Amino acid sequence: MKPQVAFFDFTSCEGCQLNKLNFENDLLDILKHVDLVEFREAMDDKADHYDIAFIEGSITSPSCVERIHDIRRRSDILVALGSCAVNGGVNAMKNLHPIDDVRETVYGDDKYLFATLPAMAVSSVVKVDYEVRGCPMTQQDFLKLLIALVLGKQPPKYGSPVCVECKLKENECLYNRGMVCLGPITRGGCDAVCPSFGQFCTGCRGILDNPNIDGMLEVMTSHGISLDEAKKRMLLYNSNEVQL
Amino acid sequence: MKRLQDVEHHETEDLYYPTMCKVTGARQITDMEKWYELEMPEGTSLGHSPGQFVEVSAFGIGEAPISISSSPSKNGKFELCIRQVGTLTNVLKNYETGDMMGIRGPFGQGYPMDNLFGKDILIVAGGIGLVPLRSLINYVLDNRKNFGRLIILYGAKTPSELLFTEELKVWEERDDVELHVTVDQPDETWKGNTGVITTLIPSLDLKLNTTIAAITGPPVMYKFVVMSLKSKQLPDDQIYLSLERRMKCGVGKCGHCQINGVYCCQDGPVFNYADIKPLEEAL
Amino acid sequence: MECFSLLRSDVPALIDHLGDFGEVIAPHGKGDVSYSFEVVRDSSDVVLDYNRTLLPLKKMFLPPVEKLIGFSLKNESYEQVDVAIAPRVFFGVHSYEMQSILRLDHSMLSGSAESNYFKRRQSSRFVGISFEPDEFHFSESVGVVIEEMEGFDLFLNEVDDDFQLYVLTDNGQEMLNGFDKINLTEPEIVEGRNFKKKIRYHYNRLPRVFQYAYHSDVWADVASRCVGCGACTLTCPTCFCFDVQDHVEVTAEDGMRQRSWDSCMLSTFAEVAGGENFREKTINRTRHRLFRKFKYITDEEGLPWCVGCGRCTAFCPAGISMPDIVNELIQEDEKAQYHRTVRV
Ligand SMILES: Cc1cc2nc3c(=O)[nH]c(=O)nc-3n(C[C@H](O)[C@H](O)[C@H](O)COP(=O)(O)OP(=O)(O)OC[C@H]3O[C@@H](n4cnc5c(N)ncnc54)[C@H](O)[C@@H]3O)c2cc1C
Ligand code: SF4
Ligand code: SF4
Ligand code: SF4
Ligand code: SF4
Ligand code: FES
Repeated sequence: MKPQVAFFDFTSCEGCQLNKLNFENDLLDILKHVDLVEFREAMDDKADHYDIAFIEGSITSPSCVERIHDIRRRSDILVALGSCAVNGGVNAMKNLHPIDDVRETVYGDDKYLFATLPAMAVSSVVKVDYEVRGCPMTQQDFLKLLIALVLGKQPPKYGSPVCVECKLKENECLYNRGMVCLGPITRGGCDAVCPSFGQFCTGCRGILDNPNIDGMLEVMTSHGISLDEAKKRMLLYNSNEVQL
Repeated sequence: MKRLQDVEHHETEDLYYPTMCKVTGARQITDMEKWYELEMPEGTSLGHSPGQFVEVSAFGIGEAPISISSSPSKNGKFELCIRQVGTLTNVLKNYETGDMMGIRGPFGQGYPMDNLFGKDILIVAGGIGLVPLRSLINYVLDNRKNFGRLIILYGAKTPSELLFTEELKVWEERDDVELHVTVDQPDETWKGNTGVITTLIPSLDLKLNTTIAAITGPPVMYKFVVMSLKSKQLPDDQIYLSLERRMKCGVGKCGHCQINGVYCCQDGPVFNYADIKPLEEAL
Repeated sequence: MECFSLLRSDVPALIDHLGDFGEVIAPHGKGDVSYSFEVVRDSSDVVLDYNRTLLPLKKMFLPPVEKLIGFSLKNESYEQVDVAIAPRVFFGVHSYEMQSILRLDHSMLSGSAESNYFKRRQSSRFVGISFEPDEFHFSESVGVVIEEMEGFDLFLNEVDDDFQLYVLTDNGQEMLNGFDKINLTEPEIVEGRNFKKKIRYHYNRLPRVFQYAYHSDVWADVASRCVGCGACTLTCPTCFCFDVQDHVEVTAEDGMRQRSWDSCMLSTFAEVAGGENFREKTINRTRHRLFRKFKYITDEEGLPWCVGCGRCTAFCPAGISMPDIVNELIQEDEKAQYHRTVRV
């Protein structure tokens, strides 16, 4: 029997959803392996059970918390998609500021009408079985996970930095071009797509386990950016993961 | 240094092509471990020695080093016992009789049997360490008159984790096997020894000049077992250990299994303690 | 050994001529300030003055990513991979690079001789070229001078902006047949190409220094700066470690087993299922890297397993310098020796 699969959206830019729809030919192949039972609000019938629930976006309000608990109860496997869901992503930047300031900036004088929480990774509310990292996540990475789940195998885990893939492609290192790049401490798996196009890595796939944060700040500042700027870059996608 | 011109084409090997072997028997023997019997194609034989390992693979999943658990004296077929701990091992859990497994090997250095003939053999097995040592035990039993005493110390966390319980019974009943089993955490039914495996060592009466010890177990175990054996004055070079390292190729190329300057997959996995004692990364 | 003069302007003609003996691979510019070995399409694109390529020539014999088998999940069967063995000419190779290939031969062909490597390595010819050492090269300190010609069939030594072409083997001789832009000449010794970076001791003495260096304080200092990116080892011409992984197509029917370069500097390199990690800390890994270059293999083969190309230093984002570490170890060793002598 094909696994019953559903997608749910929380607080994110929906970049990941769009990404998925770009699959074109591949999408047909995927549909051979799964039954899509819920896709955002598009399909009304709420099933009482999902084999795999894909979650996008971070958890930012009490109603989100309620909803994610409900989904978790109905799902065998729960997968966080994209950096917002995996670790709070860019949304978590707001956690660096007092929460009232954030509400003020976002909602202005209406701030007291909206309940907001710090932007949380899905995993800080419910158990997450697997994750697809990246902002946006890549099709490639999503497909790998899906195939693995269909084959009953563990999805790939990425424990190596972006630099590995970057080196294997024989890219000229951005540090040798006078730029500053987060590749050395960022979890790989994206095929070093940004450095390959001359863009520095912003760390969208999250920071590796046991990173040398001080060493990385030293590397960045010795390549011409201020400590402040270096910290900002490091926090962009990883405010929930890095303590500075 | 080996040079290109020293090598002939026919001397080179296709190192990464597995041989497809048929599973002829499979049984989940504990919550975590499954036993398999395999057959080489067209009646060929694996030709291993006790202590060697194979690389087992499933397509689309990957490969892993697994010890050969049967004695070479068992003809035609060989046995594996695999604990389900990760990607591949959990997929192999579903393999049943009739399925095909990819096998490369046998690889590595096993026990130097020539040095073991005529000696008293002391087996020290912790947990899944019994799997490779079972090959040695059964080899000794199949050639019983060529060896002196056979002493087996075997420790597991709980009684339900004990492997090969039927064979344990057989060994228990034989007069020519001294079997001592212990568990760390006993349950209500357990009547045997409790405590870590090293508690079995002090009361042993060993003939120092003729005893060879063979130790396999989890990484933390080695230091303590070696210490206990040393306190009984057993010489370093009469102790053999089988070490575990991350492995990818099994043939000395991928570098993953290095222990300082030696390769676990080539120079081991069975090492003489005297040889690896100076290596900081060994134990 | 014959020696000919060759004008710089005639080098492209030589490269074209070499095309008769196989696909020519030579250094090309890459990115803003870098170089890379590529197949020659237009001989005038080949760069003669380069410091070092991003990836070593190793990539042509042990590719960064290589298919080992192709398989079908349905039939539980696999197909073997045909490794192409068309003849190739490697042009513009520096001496340390050639030395690294000779070391790689040992790594891949001793013990079990790997057929994939052997097939790629066979039917390859090498044309060397001299170089101007930059602030990172230190090959002389590890026994490889600029004009070291071992392994080459032909060697171009730059003399006053033009070249002297040395013929070193029968293959080299053959490659010059019918090429008339060269004239017999007397070999000249070129002065003034000095190495700016040096290891203070002769490489013979390094294994002894390393013998006492295992518990040195230097490792902790290096580890505090290292960010664990793996660049030093992934670009090193004598490193050969790899990972093996299975990849499955989107159809979930076919796939392949691939190997790709790996690095002992990565934190997961020696980790096993269950979480045990046999080189858990950066300090263990840094030390291992240097011991692999100057102690473990050197003890057996009598040669440093570093050829002094300078890549690990030039491409380290943290600016960690291989020769500087060795010099620090030497200094520490001298201090220790001094203390030992004073006490006596
Ligand atoms: C010489 C030797 C003999 C072994 N014999 C047995 C045995 O008889 N029975 C048994 O159950 N287990 C044995 N092991 C351990 C077994 O190899 C690992 O449990 C297995 O590799 C885990 O693979 P996985 O894909 O399920 O786990 P994952 O965590 O998904 O591992 C991924 C890959 O990492 C490598 N790896 C991970 N853990 C280990 C490890 N412990 N040792 C080596 N490589 C590892 C392998 O290449 C593996 O495929 C042995 C290990 C060695 C080195
Ligand atoms: S460009 Fe970035 S990712 Fe690539 S090697 Fe340099 S630091 Fe690493
Ligand atoms: S290179 Fe960095 S920023 Fe770009 S996709 Fe990869 S992890 Fe994200
Ligand atoms: S260790 Fe560094 S200098 Fe030595 S060969 Fe490797 S990359 Fe080159
Ligand atoms: S290149 Fe530098 S920072 Fe990266 S792993 Fe090597 S020593 Fe560490
Ligand atoms: S497992 Fe590859 S070198 Fe030992």
